[in-house]
Amino acid sequence: MACPEFEYRLIEYADIEGDARACVDTHLAECASCREFLEALRVVDTELTARFSGREVSAAFAPAVRRRIQREDSARRLSFVPEILDFVGWGAIVALLGLMAWWVLPFMPAANPSQAALSMNAALAAGGAFLLVAVFIGLRSLTDLKR
Amino acid sequence: MEQEIRACLDQKEYRKAFERLLPEFQNKVFRLAYAMLGEAGAAEDMAQDVFVRIWRALPGYRGQSSLSTWIYAITRNACLTALRKSGMKKDVSMEEPGVARAAEQTRLTAGRGAGADIDILRYLGQLPEKHQRVLRLYYLEEKSYEEVARLLEWPMGTVKVYLHRARKELAEAVARSKMERRTS
Repeated sequence: MACPEFEYRLIEYADIEGDARACVDTHLAECASCREFLEALRVVDTELTARFSGREVSAAFAPAVRRRIQREDSARRLSFVPEILDFVGWGAIVALLGLMAWWVLPFMPAANPSQAALSMNAALAAGGAFLLVAVFIGLRSLTDLKR
Repeated sequence: MEQEIRACLDQKEYRKAFERLLPEFQNKVFRLAYAMLGEAGAAEDMAQDVFVRIWRALPGYRGQSSLSTWIYAITRNACLTALRKSGMKKDVSMEEPGVARAAEQTRLTAGRGAGADIDILRYLGQLPEKHQRVLRLYYLEEKSYEEVARLLEWPMGTVKVYLHRARKELAEAVARSKMERRTS
């Protein structure tokens, strides 16, 4: 098609200048196939510029993206109900266990008064621990709610 | 602008950051998707998906790469996944309303004689996929080699070689078609 030694310079014809351009022009004046190739390159350039240059998104694009994100956010937003149930449920379990420990441990048969005092202290410690756990779970649930 | 967006992200103001990056990157993302998918409609849908992904991923963005690099990587990956999944036809379809209209308008108003009857999109569709991609992006990005290299994350040399080959092949196809028309 085009002369191999001029092919590259013809493809870059718009960007070359000076002596290189003059050399190509001299060759073009006497070579019909290179002229034809350059003309075809111009057609390609014009056609592709017409097809693709300046393409932008439609005006509806950004609002559509915002709508999709809003829908996504609504779907992902945590419901308060499970968090409240979580808080109430765990609180109830811990309170129940604490109460059971409070009532049962002091009535366990004790061999002597010091053992009775010990089991009383153990019941108090268990109750305290349960209370701490209840507070921890409550705080965790509140943090979840806040998030 | 990228600094402003990063500042918003540092303060965990994701909504504000997103509102700034959407107008800044929407056309770039669309053009990159268009270059990769070859259809304007599909590219706009893909660009929407990309921005939803960006919205989801914003809290996880740690600034390891520049914001633009990160966004273009998400776009390229999304397009490649879509192409793999659908086995989508990558050349531009004349069924696409925008393309058919543009082609018709070119024929009616061009008055250029030489290129008026050339079905350039058909020839473009016959090139290797990478040549098509680089050529589309080159014209979408107003003939900037740097932008093509940046968006595709290819070395400049590779972009130039692919462009050179693609233009040569297209020019030869156009010249052949004109010659056939003259002889018939």
